[in-house]
Formats: sequence, structure tokens, C-alpha cells
Amino acid sequence: MLDLMQEAEAEAVAHEAESAALREAETRASVRRLTIALVLSAMILLVFNSERLATLVNGFEVGPVQDVVVTHATAWNELMADAGLTAPSHAVRAEVNEVRQTDWAQIRRWIERERARTQEGARLLRGAVSEARG
Amino acid sequence: MIFPTVEFGIFFLIVFVISWAVRGLPEARKLFLVGASYFFYAWWDWRFLGLLFLSTLISYIAGLAVARAEREGLRKFIVGISTVSHLAILGFFKYYGFFLVSFAALLEAVGLERDLPFMQVILPIGISFFTFQGISYVVDIYRGHVTAERTLLNVTLYISFFPQLVAGPIVRAADFLPQLHRPAALTREYLGIGLVLILSGLAKKMVIANYLATELVDPVFFDPGMVSALDLLIGIYGYAVQIYCDFSGYSDIAIGVAALLGYRFLDNFNQPYRAASLQDFWRRWHISLSTWLRDYLYVPLGGNRGGEVKTYRNLFLTMFLGGIWHGAAWTFVFWGAFHGAMLAAERYMKGKLEEFAPSHTDPGGFIATIGNGARYVVGVIWTFHLVCFAWIFFRADSFSTASDYIAGFARWGDPSLYVTPFAAGLIAIAMFFQFTPARLGNWLARGVEYLPAPLLAVLFGGGIWVIWAIAPEGVAPFIYFQF
Repeated sequence: MLDLMQEAEAEAVAHEAESAALREAETRASVRRLTIALVLSAMILLVFNSERLATLVNGFEVGPVQDVVVTHATAWNELMADAGLTAPSHAVRAEVNEVRQTDWAQIRRWIERERARTQEGARLLRGAVSEARG
Repeated sequence: MIFPTVEFGIFFLIVFVISWAVRGLPEARKLFLVGASYFFYAWWDWRFLGLLFLSTLISYIAGLAVARAEREGLRKFIVGISTVSHLAILGFFKYYGFFLVSFAALLEAVGLERDLPFMQVILPIGISFFTFQGISYVVDIYRGHVTAERTLLNVTLYISFFPQLVAGPIVRAADFLPQLHRPAALTREYLGIGLVLILSGLAKKMVIANYLATELVDPVFFDPGMVSALDLLIGIYGYAVQIYCDFSGYSDIAIGVAALLGYRFLDNFNQPYRAASLQDFWRRWHISLSTWLRDYLYVPLGGNRGGEVKTYRNLFLTMFLGGIWHGAAWTFVFWGAFHGAMLAAERYMKGKLEEFAPSHTDPGGFIATIGNGARYVVGVIWTFHLVCFAWIFFRADSFSTASDYIAGFARWGDPSLYVTPFAAGLIAIAMFFQFTPARLGNWLARGVEYLPAPLLAVLFGGGIWVIWAIAPEGVAPFIYFQF
């Protein structure tokens, strides 16, 4: 009986060591994967959202290092804008602003238009069915 | 430095890389995280770093003293001294001005005007949160829920860990400290949950909460006497959604950031507006605070052990003090007292209903299912409106604003100025997610945790890009920073 207990304990210790090794391997892999993902995410934002960087550095106090950073960030933002890479941000914002400006009258008109279109579709379908019967 | 900013993004990237690079040296990792947390706090106001350290030191020394003391009386005395010290610091910074102004008004009312020692006291950010953690650490050692830490480093990291430092969740020592004794691990589950929570938190805060604040809630509360009843009604629904998205968004990001650093925080919100009773609401809203108040206030007061009347008293006192915790203003006092009174009334009514129609006589079946469903729907609507009524006082800057707000519900004939399809849509979307399956986030996380790095980058970087593109310009601070 005691042997069995010792065996189980030894197994548990071995299992724990094994699971610790597995956990360490999983951690190493996850950290590597996430580090790459975070760096790539930062690059995506640097390219497509360079305006935020320019806004951030414009808030810096005046100083020799800060001035260099501001110049580079501004130049980078202009480069991205010239390449059209900041345009998607502007397009999304313009769409959102349009949605924000929508009023209830526009919603009502949209509902009426959709209802009319549905009714027209149904009428055409009925017409097609009648013609087929005729 | 607040979460949805470029500054925090850079800070987190550096902390993430270095903290995992030194994971082979656990003490160095903790020291680095403490340094990063103090830097994070200093970004707000470096002058209060000493206060943060003092609070930590009180907890550390009291914890060791409680663990070493053998006599029960002495142990209780140490817990008392430590709690009083913490509360004295909190009381001075948070309530000094409030009590002095109230005292001056009282003296004036009875014709005894005096020159009182008024001074401008700045409220250190996060003081309510780190004070509560400090108190619970010592009490938990006294109760035997956790052992006293020998090293100051662990207690310092527990109190100051940056994801929860300024606005919670209030992390318990018994949950967090054992994690510091294990090797830090970043599992696939943590990775998936961390990224999903950060994205959902950013979307809640930056899109829903910020738009509702600027387009609906702030204008309506600015002068409630000038807007229509419909604006006021949708305005308070909007505030209910705004404060939920603001605070639960912060909690989501905090829990997500901690997960990516290998630490687990417990949930702080669980779809609170689907609650069918106030008791249920408080099990779902700011869970870390409501359980803290339960364990360190309601239970020590006697809980439900001393008969019905004492239970009502304890419920009321707990919520009343919970209200005061939120801020030094009579509107918060009313908010807490209202919740306390309603919780007590709900308990009383439930007891009477149980006597009148005991639930065990319910035979089940189709009719019972319909009845239970209807009861649930009515319960959800009733609870939501009670909570909304209390939010009026929570949001209003004074009783006069709150009373103007309530009086304005008579103006149903006036045209609405602020209820736009956009604001109504945001409220509807947020309320929809109150009724989706509770494990939706986990299912999404499952889908994320096996993605390769480039796809993770597209999801995470692209997600942040979309949120930033949709969200209003500028970064509004989180509501709970003021507490």
C-alpha cells in the first residue's frame, strides 16, 4: 500500500515537473508570438494612424531632443499622408460623422423607401406569377 | 497616463518585453514591475508616490505584526490600528474639504459662524482603491486567508501593480499574492483573453462611453431644466450605459493587461443590467467593491445573523458607506442610502411574497415557465429603472441639478434636442450585449488564442486602428478615476 502511495506521489511529482516544463515551453512560445504581434500592431498603427503620433509629439515641451522627435514624427506623418495611407482613417471618420448627423426624419424616409421597395418587389413578383399563370 | 493613449501603448510594449525577458529572475521581474508601476503612478503626480509607499509600508508592517502576535487581543488591536491609519489617510485626502464645508454650513445655519482651517487638498488618484487593498491585506492575514509576506517587494507589487492601481478592480491579497510565488506564465488562454478584453474595453470606453458622454449625457445634465422629458429619459439611459461602458471598459483593459503579464484578476462586471433584482445587480456590478463591502463591512457588522431588523440595518449601512466611498458629496450619500433602502425593501417584499405564495408550491410546466419569464422581464425593467433613478443623483453635481432633472419629466410636450438615432443606437447596442451569452468573451478568446502572430497583429493592431478611427477625437478620463 505504502509503495503504491509512494509511486503515486512520484508520479505526481514527475507530472508536475512535466507540466511545469510544458508551461514554460507554452510561455516561451506565447511570449514570442505576442511580442511579434505587438510589434507588428505598433507598425500597423504607425503607418495607418501616424496622425496620433504627430499629435502626441506636438504636446512635448520645447527642447533639442523633443524638436528632433517632433520634426521626424511630422515628416513621417506627411509621408504616410502623401502615400494615401491615412486616407482610410479619414474615410471611416467621415462615414461615422455622417451616421452621427443622421436625424429621425432621414430614418423615417429610409424606412418608407425600404417599405416601398419591398412592396414594389412583392408587386412585381405577384405580376410575374400572374403572367406565368396567364 | 491613461490606457487608451499612445503613451500607454509605448509604456506597455516596453514593460511587456522587459518583464518577460527577465522572467528567469522572479525577484528582478517583480522589482521591475514595481518600478514600472511607480513610474505609471508618477506620470499622474509624482508627489503622491510617498503616500502610496506609506500605505504599502503600513500594510506590510501591520501584516507581519499580526502574523507574529499570539494574543488575540493584540492581533485585533494591530488590525484596528492599521485600518484606522489607512482610513485616516483616505479620510483626510478625500473628505477633509467635504466635512469642513458641511460643518461650516451647519454652524452658519445655527448662527455660529466660525473661521475654519480651509485648505485646498488634492485627491491622490486611486487612493480609495489602494487603501481598500491595504486594509483587506491585513484583515485577511488576521482571518488566516493569507499568510503575511516576508518581503516588502511582494506587498509593494500587490498594492501598486499598475493595471489596477488607479481605478481597480480591487484585487484581494488571497487571489494575487499566491501568483507571485509561482513562476510567471503566459498561457494561450491568458493571451486570448487578454487581447479580447483589451479590445472590448477600448471599444466600450472610446466609442460607446465617449460618444454618449459628449453627444447626450453631458449636454442633458448641463442644464436639465432646459431640455425635454424625452431627452431626460434617454439621457439617464445613456448615462447608465456610459458609466457601465466606461468603468467595465477600464476593468476589461486592466484585467487584459494583467493577463498578458501573466497575472489573473477576477471579473469586475457581469452584464449588470440583465439583473432582475437589486441584489442580483450588486452581484454583477463592480463585483470587486461589492464583495469587498460584503466581506469587510456587512459581515463584520453582523450580516444576516442578527435577525431581520439588524439585517436591514446592516444592508443599509453597507450601501450608505459604499455611497460615501464613491465621493465626498451628499449626492453620493443619497445614492448609497437609496440603494441600501431599496435592497432592504426588496428583501422585505421578497420575504412577504414567499409567505404569500411559497415558491415550492410551484408545480412547474408551461404556465409556470411563462409566469417565471414574465416575472424575470418585469424584474429586469423594474431593477434597471431603479438603478437609473439612483444614477441621476450619482451623475448630478448637486441636489438642485438632480431635482431639476426629476422635475423635467413633466415636460413631455417639448421637442427633443439630443436624442439622435446615433445616440439611441449606441444605447441599444450596449444593452443588446447585456443579454448575449455570458461566455461570449471566452468563446471569442478561444478563437484568438491559436492565431499565428501576423494574424494576431492584424486583429489587435487593426482592431485598435478601427476603434481609434471611429472614436471621437481626444481622450476623456475614466469616470472612476475621481473615486
